[in-house]
Amino acid sequence: VENTPKVHNMVVCTLCSCYPWAVLGLPPVWYKSAPYRSRAVIDPRGVLKEFGVTLPEDLEIRIWDSTSEVRYMVLPERPPGTEGMSEAELAGLVTRDAMIGTDLVKPPAAETRR
Amino acid sequence: MNGVHDMGGMHGMGPIVTEKNEPVFHHEWERRAFAMAVATGFLGKWNIDMSRYAREQMPPAEYLATSYYEHWLWGLEKLLEDTGLLTRAEIDARLRGADRPAGAAPGARPIPQEVRMLKAPDVERVLRSRRTARVDADVAPRFKVGEAVVTRTINPTGHTRLPRYARGKRGVIAEDHGVWVFPDTHAAEQDPKPQHCYSVRFTARELWGAQGGPDDQIYIDLFDDYLDPA
Repeated sequence: VENTPKVHNMVVCTLCSCYPWAVLGLPPVWYKSAPYRSRAVIDPRGVLKEFGVTLPEDLEIRIWDSTSEVRYMVLPERPPGTEGMSEAELAGLVTRDAMIGTDLVKPPAAETRR
Repeated sequence: MNGVHDMGGMHGMGPIVTEKNEPVFHHEWERRAFAMAVATGFLGKWNIDMSRYAREQMPPAEYLATSYYEHWLWGLEKLLEDTGLLTRAEIDARLRGADRPAGAAPGARPIPQEVRMLKAPDVERVLRSRRTARVDADVAPRFKVGEAVVTRTINPTGHTRLPRYARGKRGVIAEDHGVWVFPDTHAAEQDPKPQHCYSVRFTARELWGAQGGPDDQIYIDLFDDYLDPA
């Protein structure tokens, strides 16, 4: 599911812990825990705030509850200032949480400051 | 079942605790529990929906007070017992000897010949091969993309993948995922009732009233048997 300037996606499994193992590995503890599973669907902005992500009020949030055997992964938005970067360099900016939807991919300058 | 595992929309579970550079497993027993749960799945004695249903039957107070891999271990012990592969006494005896090196426990029964086993040299190949609950069956979809639906109000005591927060709610078919086994009957070892599963879009306002974000949407994967035309 693709993030755009108008849409932010976030993945959860409210019933258990479904997660794209084959691509992202085993999920972190917080993904499988009661606080995330209970609140992601009812209070996504509150959840994102705890991850340090504040989105514009008019941005549409799409929550994907993984209730079947279909698995979801977020395709994060390409940050500004990455024109001309190679695939490997771009991959280095992407975090696991950005592919769950609880993080945004930061521009390279912010990345080096961390 | 209306269990505590069905957490969507609950309050009071506390802040989300994240960990920097989190290890895949926090304890050696978690690694073993995970490996045992995956390996025993290949015995062919139960399916993934039965595994999920087993974990859901952990008493709610215990479920909330224990960690993820404790849920897995509890469910595994239940399945081993339910299928007669081990008795409770045998499980307890082995737990007492859990610090022994791996290998057959004293007094262990021989493994019945008909039991399929995942052998160590085959693990990687088998795990990398594609396994799916998708069914290659020609079953007609009951709904089309864009169609308005309402979810059924059901309260089965068995396994279901229709979360409580999405029962009796109006949504729109966003995508048809094709034909899959139906978890509710598959978990009960009944007819797997292959049917279409859809991504169904609900507005946050439909699910949560005024507390839902005005533009936010929740997409839930739901099967034909959970849906009626709106």
